[in-house]
Amino acid sequence: MGAFGDKIKENYKAFFQTTWSPMTGGIVIAFLCVFMVAWHRPFGIVGGIRNWADWLFYSIGLFSAWKQPPPHPLYFSSSVIDIGFLAGAWISAVIGKEFAFRVPPVLELIKGFFSGILMGLGAAFAFGCNVGGFYSATQNLAANGLVMFIGLICGVAIGLKYLFWEMEHIPAGPPGPTLLDKKIPPAVGFIAILIMIIAAFAYTNSSKSGADLMAGYLLIGGAIGFVFQRSRFCMVNGFREPFMTGDARMGKAVAISLIIGTLGIAIIKYMGLRPEMLYVTPCFWWGALIGGFIFGMGMVVAGGCGTGSLWRVGEGQVKLIVVATMFALSNSIFRYYFTQTGFLYKLGKPIYLPDYLGYGGSVILITVIMILWYLIIDWNEETNKFVYEI
Amino acid sequence: MSDYKKAPDDVKPDHTLDARGLSCPMPLLRTKKEIEKIQSGQILEVLGTDPGSRNDIPGWATRAGHEWIGEKEDDGFFRFYIRKK
Repeated sequence: MGAFGDKIKENYKAFFQTTWSPMTGGIVIAFLCVFMVAWHRPFGIVGGIRNWADWLFYSIGLFSAWKQPPPHPLYFSSSVIDIGFLAGAWISAVIGKEFAFRVPPVLELIKGFFSGILMGLGAAFAFGCNVGGFYSATQNLAANGLVMFIGLICGVAIGLKYLFWEMEHIPAGPPGPTLLDKKIPPAVGFIAILIMIIAAFAYTNSSKSGADLMAGYLLIGGAIGFVFQRSRFCMVNGFREPFMTGDARMGKAVAISLIIGTLGIAIIKYMGLRPEMLYVTPCFWWGALIGGFIFGMGMVVAGGCGTGSLWRVGEGQVKLIVVATMFALSNSIFRYYFTQTGFLYKLGKPIYLPDYLGYGGSVILITVIMILWYLIIDWNEETNKFVYEI
Repeated sequence: MSDYKKAPDDVKPDHTLDARGLSCPMPLLRTKKEIEKIQSGQILEVLGTDPGSRNDIPGWATRAGHEWIGEKEDDGFFRFYIRKK
C-alpha cells in the first residue's frame, strides 16, 4: 500500500506541481482546440473580453448606436470560454502553488497599459489575437492566419528592439508587493474544479435555449486554460526567443501544435460537420498583416499574448491584469468605431484556403510553412544568426 | 522541466541582480545583460518572483555554456545562481 501511495504522490506532483514541457502542452492544447470545434466552434480569446468591455461601455451610454445590449456574458460562447480559461489557469496556479498577486515596478505597469492598447488595436485589424487571428485561424484553414503569422514575426522583432533599448536606458525601479504567495491551499483549486463541473451540469439542465452549449465551452475552455498555465505555453516566447536567446523549444511546440490542430479541424470541416467559414475573417490580407504587426509589438512589451496574458492573470500577475484590461477596453472601442465608420469592411477579404487549394493542398501548405518555421528556428538555435546582440 | 535543482547552502555570489517584480521576458533579458558585468568563473545571483524564471534561467544558462548551480527559495521570491563560463 505504501508503494501505491507513493505512486499517487509522484503522479500528482508530475501532473500538478511541475511545469509541463512546451511540446506536451502544445500537443494537448491542439487536441483541446479540435474538441472545441467538434463541440461547436473554434477556441478564441478576444470575443469574450471584448464582450465584457462592451457591457461597460454600453452601460455608460458610450455605444449610442447600439439599440440592443450585448449578449449576456453567461450565455455567450466567447465569454464562457474566457471564464473557463481564466478559471482553469487559476486552478492550475493554485494547485501548483504558483498563485500570488505580484505587483511589478511602475515602469512595467505603464508598459502594460500601453501594450494592452496596442494589442486591442492589432486584434481589431486582424479580427482576433494570436489565437483568433493566427493560431485558431490557421487551424481553421483561413488564409488570414498565415498573413498574421508574418505580421507577428515582424512586430515581435521590432518590439524586442524596444525592450533592448529600454534595458540600456531606463532602470527597472523597485517592485511592488507580492501578496498571498502560497497562501491559498491547493484544495481550493479542487473545489473550484467541482464547482465548474456543477456549473456545466446546470447549463445542460437549463431550459434556456443554447445553454447546454455553454457547458462544453466552460469545461473545454477550462481545460485549455489549465494546460496553458501548467505548461507555461507562450506564443510570445515562441516568436521572441529566436531573436532573444536562440531558444527554439516553445516555437517548435507552437508549430507542431498548430499542425496537429489543423489536421483535426480540416477533417471536421471536410466531413461537413461544422461550417467551413468558421474563423475565416475578412482581413486577408492587409488587415491581418497590420494587425499582426501591431499585436506582435504589443505582446512583446506586454510579456503575454492573448492566451499568455489571460493565464498570467490567472496566476496573479498584476502587470498582465493591466494588459488584459486595456486590451479588452481598447479592442471594444476600436471595434465599435471600425464598425460604425465601415472601416471594418475595408480590411480585406475572407479567404478560405480550400476554396483555392482544396483541403489537401491547404493542409499541405500550412504544414510546410510550419515545418519551415520549425527548421529555421532550430537552425538559428545552433547558429544564433537572428539573435540580437546585447 | 521536472525537478528544480537546489543550490548548496554555502553558495557565495560575487554579484546580485534584483529582478523581483519583473515578469517575462525581463528577468531573463536583464540576467543576460548582467552576466556581462562579471568575470569568468564568478557567480551571479538573480532574485526573482516570476515562476517562469525557474525554467527560463537554468535553460538559458546551460544552453549558453554557463554552469547552472541551482535555486534557493526565500520568503516570497527565488534566488538563482549561475557561474559564468
